[in-house]
Amino acid sequence: MDLRRQLLIVSLMTLVLPWAGCQFIRETERALRTGQQDMLAGTALALADALSQYPEEFPLDYARDYRVGAPLYGHRLEYAPSVDGYVEDWPIDARSIARFEGVRGPFELVAGLHGGYLYLFVAVTDADVAYLAPGAGPAELAANRPLAERVELVSISPPYLDERFLFGAEAPGRIIAYARSAQSIRPQPGVFAHWEQVPGGYQLEAQIPQRLLGTNLGVTVTDAAGASASSFATPLPGPLMRPSEELRDIAAGLVQRGMRLYITDREGWQLAATGSLVARDEAQSTTVTAWLRRFYDILVDEGTAAALAAPAASGRERQAYVRRALDGKVGASWFRSEGDGSAIVAVAQPIVDGSGVIGAVVLQRGTDAILSLTNDGLARLLNLTLIATIGIALGLLGYASWLSRRIRRLSVAAEAALVDLSSAIELPSADAGDELGDLSRSFAKVLRTLGEYNSYLRTLASKLSHELRTPLAIVMSSLNNLEHEPLGQAAKNYTRRATDGAERLRRILNAMSEASRVEELMHNAEFAHFDVNPVLEAAVGAYRDAYPEQDFEYRGAAATIAGAPELLIQMLDKLVDNAVSFSAVKDRIELRLERRGDSVCISVENPGPPLPERFRQRLFDSLVSVRAGGSDRHLGLGLYVARLIAEGHRGRIDAENTARGVRFTVSLPSRTDSDVRRPGSGQCSSPPHGPRRPP
Amino acid sequence: MGRHIAIVEDEPAIRDNYTAAFEREGYVVDSYARRQSALDAFAARLPDLVVIDINLGDDVEGGFELCRTLRSRSENLPIIFLTARDSEFDAVSGLRLGADDYLTKDISLPHLLARVAALFRRLDAVQRPTNEDGRLRRGELVIDTERMSVHWADRAVSLTLTEFWLVHAMARYPGHVKNRQQLMDAAQVVLDDNTITSHIKRIRRKFLAIDEEFAAIETVYGMGYRWLVD
Repeated sequence: MDLRRQLLIVSLMTLVLPWAGCQFIRETERALRTGQQDMLAGTALALADALSQYPEEFPLDYARDYRVGAPLYGHRLEYAPSVDGYVEDWPIDARSIARFEGVRGPFELVAGLHGGYLYLFVAVTDADVAYLAPGAGPAELAANRPLAERVELVSISPPYLDERFLFGAEAPGRIIAYARSAQSIRPQPGVFAHWEQVPGGYQLEAQIPQRLLGTNLGVTVTDAAGASASSFATPLPGPLMRPSEELRDIAAGLVQRGMRLYITDREGWQLAATGSLVARDEAQSTTVTAWLRRFYDILVDEGTAAALAAPAASGRERQAYVRRALDGKVGASWFRSEGDGSAIVAVAQPIVDGSGVIGAVVLQRGTDAILSLTNDGLARLLNLTLIATIGIALGLLGYASWLSRRIRRLSVAAEAALVDLSSAIELPSADAGDELGDLSRSFAKVLRTLGEYNSYLRTLASKLSHELRTPLAIVMSSLNNLEHEPLGQAAKNYTRRATDGAERLRRILNAMSEASRVEELMHNAEFAHFDVNPVLEAAVGAYRDAYPEQDFEYRGAAATIAGAPELLIQMLDKLVDNAVSFSAVKDRIELRLERRGDSVCISVENPGPPLPERFRQRLFDSLVSVRAGGSDRHLGLGLYVARLIAEGHRGRIDAENTARGVRFTVSLPSRTDSDVRRPGSGQCSSPPHGPRRPP
Repeated sequence: MGRHIAIVEDEPAIRDNYTAAFEREGYVVDSYARRQSALDAFAARLPDLVVIDINLGDDVEGGFELCRTLRSRSENLPIIFLTARDSEFDAVSGLRLGADDYLTKDISLPHLLARVAALFRRLDAVQRPTNEDGRLRRGELVIDTERMSVHWADRAVSLTLTEFWLVHAMARYPGHVKNRQQLMDAAQVVLDDNTITSHIKRIRRKFLAIDEEFAAIETVYGMGYRWLVD
């Protein structure tokens, strides 16, 4: 991973800024909401106090009698529906309709109150609706097996009144209702009912004056076979819960704009509901973009679905915060709509009179104010932090690019300097005051030391040979003199051996100083244009004589270079000498001369062991030999001399392992008649030995 | 009375060895370790031949200085540089100062003695009348083996002893390629390729200075050199 990517990743750390901002917004939002809830709780407390002055409006303690079933809630109807057998025209929520287990499937029941009338709607599932026989009287309808579908409205006022209103039909349409008491069964005037057959069953809608009814109401559905099902499982139906107009009027006077208030009895049944939440400001909501909304949803505390904040359709509040109020404590809740993000803060306060909790006040308020505040803040925060993050990332990227460019330039320059240590070392950033400057200076220092060491190595051989020549001269002249002294046979042998050794030493010293002499020669050489081919041909002929044990093969074509033929031959001598020393008797040594582009390539290939890879680069350096032992002729100077000559001709020398063995290739710049002195651009072998300048 | 040879050499062992060798050959030898002591001795009387080391103790270029001084005093005094310095530059410098030969110290004593003898022979020959028998003619080239002199187109070519023997070896059998070893044997020196190349180059230059058309020495690449006669 390069420096730029690393710093880019580091720049991601600035993302902590929006995170912190979000935390801040969340906290703000929470604090605002808590404040609203507290305020709302205060208001609700005042309302609860006021409402506790009207205990008579709260129903009696009906729930304690085990014989009495669940209450039937009489929904408050804004207007009177027409009695037509359909519930669709009722001003109520569809979810208000209660379902019960019937005889041949479930039946539905809903009751409404308007203008002194109880409206009743019953929908019964029955695949085969049976009608009364024409002319059948109330007796048939009241029979245990009515031979037709029958709906009874059970109306009691415990412990006195026990009356049933029977509904049956000869045909769909308006029907007569019968009132059956313990004594009689008779048509009931003032009750309007409509029977309608629908696919899969029938529906009954009835309008009954409230004065005819008892306190408790229930519905029993009986089919033609006499099987029946009731809305109450207990012996007696539950009470009819009626919303209190009185309480509603009181509450309407107390509730503020933008709030919704409802009052429940101690079981959670709604007694009154008034007020409405402020309609959301549509113009503002459009400014909140979808993605922001989503972000906001993630950010803010999850609330209960907003729809649940509305008064329960069944008429009974079962939400936790209301139940909490009915237990005598303050309940609070928080509603939020997934869709448009509208939020509602709700608070429930118990209404307490002398006997205990008699009901609860539920007060709700929309929190669009909070929402828009947080939305605006959020949008601004996100924009700013996004810009900041991008800015920081770009800044770091630029900085990293600059830094990595400097480092790259330094490394390239250092590598280039490593290749040619002889020239003046100038690295980039050397004047910089930062760590890169330090690095650059250290590099330069190291490279300079290395260069000095290298040039020391280069001159070591000639210095050494020079220094050793004088003691050698002492040894040799002493031995020469000794030959003229009278010596025994043994002494003569020793003298001869000493002379041989001294002679070998002399040859070594000559080889060691050869490189420096070649350098000098190169310096003074007069380069001439000549065709290499005849020169090499002659030389190969000489090699055949000189090394009869090897096979020499030469292929070449005319190629003109600028140079000194003697030096070139000397270079070739070194290469051939090297090739011969590595090959066995009868091995074929191949010499090639060819032109490749701007280059003239001379190669010497011999079979033999491959070059160790690690030596490939250093092979042509002074005093480097790949030979294990190292005889007197192989101090590692031969190839160095070859390299000096190749470079003196502005060429280069490379070594590579081939399928046959080892190939040394010298690339020299080809000369055309124009005689432009330029470095050879062509290349004769694949593995580069690195560019080198002539010394 | 034997010939008088002066050896100026700072290394006592070499000095003594050379002295012993020369004395064995019948020469009278004086040896000096320093330039000043040699100069003091030479002020009274010049020797017949001087062997000088270039590096005389702390006097790094002392041999050159000595050569210059001696040459200014005598045109004909044979001077041989015998030194550990084998660089081309030093050799050229020494020969320019008028030395008759420039030898490196790895020369064997017999070779050195042969050199000295040859130089004396040349010295003697100059004083004798010309003897046609000792001459070798190859076209424009005339080699007087007794005087050890070379003429090209009737003009003297000033060659060192080594150069003389190289030319002599090549011109003796014109057209024959003389390889390195043969040339070395002829010149009685141990020379490597580069030194031979340098010598041939210098010889060519000396001939070219007389005759711009000179092309008698041919390089046979990879083998050696030969003398061409048209």
